[in-house]
Amino acid sequence: MLLQLNNIFKWVQSGGQRIFLLKDINLEVQEGEFISIMGPSGSGKSTLLNVIGMLDAFDEGEYHFLEDSVHDLKEKHRSNLYKEYIGFVFQQYHLLDDLTVQENLEMPLIYKKFKGSERKAMVADMLDRFNIVGKKDLFPSQLSGGQQQLVGIARALISNPKLILADEPTGNLNSKQGEEIMDLFKQLNDEGVTIIQVTHSEKNAEYGSRIINLLDGRMI
Amino acid sequence: MLKNYFKIAWRNLIKNKVFTLANIIGLTSALAVALLLVMTALFELSYDQFHKNKDSVYQVYLSSQTPRGLESGTSQPVPLAPALKADVPGIKHAVRTLSDDTFATYNDKEINLDAEFVDPAFFDLFTFPVITGKAKNPLSEKSSVVLSEKSAQKVFGTVENIVGKTIALKLGKEEQLFSVSAIVQDPPSNSSNDFDIIIPFENHPEYASNIDRWDSQFHLVYVQLEEGVTPDQFEKNTQEFTSLHYQGSIENAKRDGAVANEDGLFMQFHLLPITDMHFTSFASGAAVVKRTFPYMILGIAFVIIFIVCANFINMNIALSEKRLKEIGMRKTLGAVKKQLFFQFWLESLLVFTASTILGLVLGNLLLEPFKSLFNTRATLEHVTQPKILLIFGLSIFCITLIAGGYPALLMSRLGTLRALKGKMDLGKNRLRNSLIVLQFAIAILLISGTLVLHGQIEFMRNKDLGYNKEQVISIPLNGKKDSYQVVALLRDELKGNPNILNISGADNNLGMGRDGSSMSSMMGFDYKGRGVVTNALTVDYDYAKTLDLEVVAGRTFSRDFAADSLSLVINETMAKQLGEEDPLSVRIPIDDGATTYSVIGVVKDFNFQDISRQVNPLTLFLNNDWDLYYAYVKIAPQNISSSFDAVEKAWGSIEPQAEFLGSFLDENVDRTFRREKTMATIVTSGSILGILLSCIGLFAISMLVVAQRTKEIGVRKVIGASVSSVALLLTKDFLKLVGIAFILATPIAWYFLNEWLQNYAFRVTLSPLFFIAAGLLATLIAFITVGTRTVKAASANPVKSLRTE
Ligand SMILES: Nc1ncnc2c1ncn2[C@@H]1O[C@H](COP(=O)(O)OP(=O)(O)OP(=O)(O)O)[C@@H](O)[C@H]1O
Ligand SMILES: [Mg+2]
Repeated sequence: MLLQLNNIFKWVQSGGQRIFLLKDINLEVQEGEFISIMGPSGSGKSTLLNVIGMLDAFDEGEYHFLEDSVHDLKEKHRSNLYKEYIGFVFQQYHLLDDLTVQENLEMPLIYKKFKGSERKAMVADMLDRFNIVGKKDLFPSQLSGGQQQLVGIARALISNPKLILADEPTGNLNSKQGEEIMDLFKQLNDEGVTIIQVTHSEKNAEYGSRIINLLDGRMI
Repeated sequence: MLKNYFKIAWRNLIKNKVFTLANIIGLTSALAVALLLVMTALFELSYDQFHKNKDSVYQVYLSSQTPRGLESGTSQPVPLAPALKADVPGIKHAVRTLSDDTFATYNDKEINLDAEFVDPAFFDLFTFPVITGKAKNPLSEKSSVVLSEKSAQKVFGTVENIVGKTIALKLGKEEQLFSVSAIVQDPPSNSSNDFDIIIPFENHPEYASNIDRWDSQFHLVYVQLEEGVTPDQFEKNTQEFTSLHYQGSIENAKRDGAVANEDGLFMQFHLLPITDMHFTSFASGAAVVKRTFPYMILGIAFVIIFIVCANFINMNIALSEKRLKEIGMRKTLGAVKKQLFFQFWLESLLVFTASTILGLVLGNLLLEPFKSLFNTRATLEHVTQPKILLIFGLSIFCITLIAGGYPALLMSRLGTLRALKGKMDLGKNRLRNSLIVLQFAIAILLISGTLVLHGQIEFMRNKDLGYNKEQVISIPLNGKKDSYQVVALLRDELKGNPNILNISGADNNLGMGRDGSSMSSMMGFDYKGRGVVTNALTVDYDYAKTLDLEVVAGRTFSRDFAADSLSLVINETMAKQLGEEDPLSVRIPIDDGATTYSVIGVVKDFNFQDISRQVNPLTLFLNNDWDLYYAYVKIAPQNISSSFDAVEKAWGSIEPQAEFLGSFLDENVDRTFRREKTMATIVTSGSILGILLSCIGLFAISMLVVAQRTKEIGVRKVIGASVSSVALLLTKDFLKLVGIAFILATPIAWYFLNEWLQNYAFRVTLSPLFFIAAGLLATLIAFITVGTRTVKAASANPVKSLRTE
């Protein structure tokens, strides 16, 4: 088992009232799964993904990740855990504008304190694998949306995470580009990477092994 | 239309109220302080500018080539002025002036007055307008005197109907009667000549005995040149005159091995414009006119204004980026460049106008504390001259134009489409960064200046001057009694007090007393065929004991030896100058061998003059015919204040009429570097203000930068950056700028401070620590300023910053 959420609640206080963003979420994810989260806009998909990704806190419930109890961990340990096992992919790619493709890929490795020579090798490997060696010295603004998302995924994968979290990774792409990304995810999943994606498209959801539906913060 | 502009400007200022407020606070305080500083500087620069004939009136000084090098002095002999007028062409008037104290008696009231003994043409040279009395040539009679308004009040209690009245003045040992011929306005505070009463020169007690003596020099001479005559011509015209009247001195100089100047002369008269007098120092030998102090103050004022303007420009540019979309919209709606420009300029103008008004108010409120803190007598009149107001108005116009106009220009150049996208990747960061670098370079310059100035002051305060300054009180003998009698009476009166250790007297003070007067007395004589120059000091018995001077050879004056009035005690430098193996063997014949002095003792060198000077040769005399002007009382280290009170009480019973002006010598020494202290206060406040203002700017900029980079911060955190690494990333950029500023500022600071320290014979070593400390301080301050912002930004939840897309 990779992770387990038990009775997770998340709310915000507004005018003396609790507005629930997540209500009683119970979820178990095994290693090697490919899960799609679906639901109408505002139903809490991104919120859930961020909670799983430890970017956001929750107010009640338990969260176990491998052997660790995330709800008991200090901020520092949590971010170490996150750094080691999780990679994020965004709808808006969120590449660093001032850095080249190569430098963008290298950044997470720097933060994870890899040595210079190791970094070089891993970046070269990734560029190769995604077929973007020719683009390594370009800046994000010089790439198409699909290419940017490719770099985004490459960046998420570079330090070999166990879990990829993708928030509408194909939302800004045309269907052809989207299909390519989904094929890539499938391939990664086959290699053993666990993937949780948020998507609006039934077709993309089909790539996954399991679909979770959210409505008003509740799993249905 | 205009109303519309104002409305939008107002809304914008309100919308960015943090920045608007930061700008207004910064500008207001900078303008207020600059106003006060400019006032002080202009006051200093206005010294002696009020004389109508300032362009043709000069002070005469004589440069002499001596074996010790070039020496210049303004003290002149009595016959010089009449001889110049008679023998040298091109001189309209030559006037002698001599400052001295006198006692005025009127209706049994005795008042100490600051007298100026002058030749009648004094009033033709200098502009001191007559209020009542004889307006033309008021000193034509030898027995007439002129009073200032203030002293007329003091003596007569009124300024009405005084002309023609008689007052008695004590000149030397005698009292003489004078009639008041005119009352003049008090000398303005920016006058080098300050006086209570003006007396015809011939009445000075030293006049008669020196009327033909060229070797006794004790007063100043001013000349007014004929129209069209230049100082150069005067110098040429006096060459022959000088070689005639100073023949003896010139021959001595040649004999002693002095080197002639480039014109082949040993003595040369020069003229100093009276407007330069206040700024002239003869310490290095030549007359050096330095307006460093006022220019430094102006510089600081300018620099402070620069810092706030840089803030203003920086914030405006950074803020305008936020408005790119608005600009793009306006452009699509058909706005033209001119309108955009006007909109931006108006906003700047509004901020500046508000700040100027507030700055003026604040400046006025701070006026009195400022004047006492910086001990200046400047008034706002010195600033409110049309010319200066015009310059000020123009500068505001220009600054607002740049601050408002530059971003407007950048944007109007930007294509509409790019503006709509809200991206402006121009060289604007370069301008911003250069301004920040300059600001911090200035801050580092000011901080290191502050540190070195305080270092030097502390150095001077703590330096061992060779005498006991903590336990000795010096009292100016400003009463009417004979000075030796006063010292004797003090001894008598304080005999029983175990805390009073010793009492003595001398004709000169150590440091600057509360009487505010300073003088030096020099004499020269031939010793074994060589000219020797020494400072002369007349002392009473126990002088060395009272001041804890160390006797290194022989003895000091003693009551046990009857003939000590022909004995000399010299300091080590004098002994070195005399060049004898055994200084105690020296015999000095004076007045062509009529009397012979013999050296009986040598005291260790002590700083009897300003600490800025080397210790010069000094000779102590014991001679009851020469007056003492100061009494010295040494007290025990215990019960200092009660001992001081006892001395004051004793004084009161001995000289009930005269004010007690006694003070400890360490206070006197402190008083000699009052100027340095004022300078230190100004530079310190300048640097504190400079730093504060730079920090306001830096803070605002860091806020904007952080806002601009919110998304980047979020992304970096999501891909694994820690809080500290993000904070460092953001802070690093700013610290880099401070680093560059440090590299730029340090050599400049080093150069100027080293120059300045050269003015002091005894000075603190210019250690790199001063600059490193300044750099570290600036870095630390910048770090705290920026750090508060960046750490906060770095700790923010990345989910939030990424959502704002
Ligand atoms: N910090 C917050 N304060 C208040 N409300 C919030 C906050 N964060 C999220 N919400 C609300 O929680 C709900 C869920 O938001 P979330 O972003 O998870 O939706 P989503 O399912 O991802 O929608 P979409 O498909 O549009 O991306 C929304 O109604 C949102 O407005
Ligand atoms: Mg979402």
